[in-house]
Amino acid sequence: MDAAPGGLGEPIRFVLNWDRRYSLWVFNLGLACCAVEFVATSLGRPEVVRLGALPYAQEPDQADLMLVSGTVTDRMAPAIMRLYQRLTGPRYVMSFGACSNSGGPYWDSYSVTKGVDQLIPVDVYVPGCPPRPEALLDGIRELQEKIARDSGPAVQPAAPDVAALTAPLVRPPGVPATGWPVP
Amino acid sequence: MTPEAVGQALVTALVAAATAEDPTPPGPPVAGVSGGGRFARATVDVPAGAWVAALRTARDAVGCDFFDWLSAVDELDQGYQVVAHVWSSRGRYGVLVRTRIPRAAPALDSVVAVYPGAAWSERETHEMFGVDFPGHPGLAPLLLPAQFEGHPLRKDFVLASRVVKAWPGATEPGESAAEAGRRAPQRPPGVPAPGDWTPPDWRPGG
Amino acid sequence: MSEPLPARSRGVIALLEENCTSCMLCARECPDWCIYIDSHKEEVVVPGARTRQRHVLDRFAIDFSLCMYCGICIEVCPFDALYWSPEFAYAGYDIRELLQERDDLRQWMPTVPVPPAHDPSGEPSKEQSAAARRAR
Repeated sequence: MDAAPGGLGEPIRFVLNWDRRYSLWVFNLGLACCAVEFVATSLGRPEVVRLGALPYAQEPDQADLMLVSGTVTDRMAPAIMRLYQRLTGPRYVMSFGACSNSGGPYWDSYSVTKGVDQLIPVDVYVPGCPPRPEALLDGIRELQEKIARDSGPAVQPAAPDVAALTAPLVRPPGVPATGWPVP
Repeated sequence: MTPEAVGQALVTALVAAATAEDPTPPGPPVAGVSGGGRFARATVDVPAGAWVAALRTARDAVGCDFFDWLSAVDELDQGYQVVAHVWSSRGRYGVLVRTRIPRAAPALDSVVAVYPGAAWSERETHEMFGVDFPGHPGLAPLLLPAQFEGHPLRKDFVLASRVVKAWPGATEPGESAAEAGRRAPQRPPGVPAPGDWTPPDWRPGG
Repeated sequence: MSEPLPARSRGVIALLEENCTSCMLCARECPDWCIYIDSHKEEVVVPGARTRQRHVLDRFAIDFSLCMYCGICIEVCPFDALYWSPEFAYAGYDIRELLQERDDLRQWMPTVPVPPAHDPSGEPSKEQSAAARRAR
């Protein structure tokens, strides 16, 4: 019986994770077409009941899982941050569809955030444009497996230090360090 | 009414209105047809000075009571072409009223007094193209975030993602990406050469 | 899935590496710039004839976090090296798991279904109409 951080033993951790992963309250942040796929999934009640992902949370305060489905625009980014902060812990985020994974087909747009993981930490990425309803159910199953491996009650990663978030500028291959783009 | 007839009706009404109010109009309106088949639409090109009068005539004399949209087209050296689509809900016909404004300091009178629904369209055209609409009640950005710099729908606006990401198709068959930098790489269609990205009159600091 | 998915379902893209000549058409036509190809040339010695050159694929990767499943790469490939597969259950914990390399793309090949039969009342395919013409 290994003591997880916080002093919990294995059986209690197992029970807590079991509770969490089989009673996920899903808050669907529907931004674009993938939201319609979520609606299609939610209409198949037996499949969703089997996974325990019911009822659907009306507000993020009531939710464990925030499902970001659709294109994340720069204008919507502050709202997504505020909704994420209202999620009650332990909280999980699933990115549903290509647009919220990495910008998807709008990767070159002037008004799109290239992936919701630029704003909030994401636990599972479901690829597709849009993913099938069955792919969403598979994504929820993957998340449940991840929750089963969680190591304690307070498993949210600490907010990263701001200084650690800096990254060097991206440069395409072949462009010298000082030659970009000089008017 | 056929598109040709609609266009001609508007031109006739404009000429009549101009003769009544101002005997020396800035230029004659020109009628045409855009599109074909079921989608043919009458077009009327008017000089920029007659813009508000043209839309008022379209509403009053031709019966186009519904304002559909207003936007602009960046025609590079020839300036911006501002287009408004108005529709007659009774006669089920529409007119594309078009005008041309110069590229330097683009401005066009606001038509909010004629069609109040044009307010948001003009706000969007202002933020996307930089066209000023004197007379507009409040020309605030509509869709772009507050910190956005530049006018995205202008043709010289740079799509930063396409600049930063190396095109995977630049490598030739039989060479790897590491070698692609040695000779002038093939560019993706529609993306200008690296030297052409910045407009000639750009200076650091905007 | 208990019942088979419809024909031509777009789940994931499978690569048949033996057919690929690294012609770069798919990478160039992809609107999302999500196909990455590296290759090199090799000489093939043919006894009795001059040596030929062959392109050998080093890297073929598709970034499914960007892919929009338009199918342009599959349509444009002249050598039938890319195929649609109806598999959809490949979600990942990290976004880098969605960048699938050659081996991952090859693993989807057994799941590619047999192409559906031509519609009997449709136009004949180019292969059929070409075969029916007399050879000149």
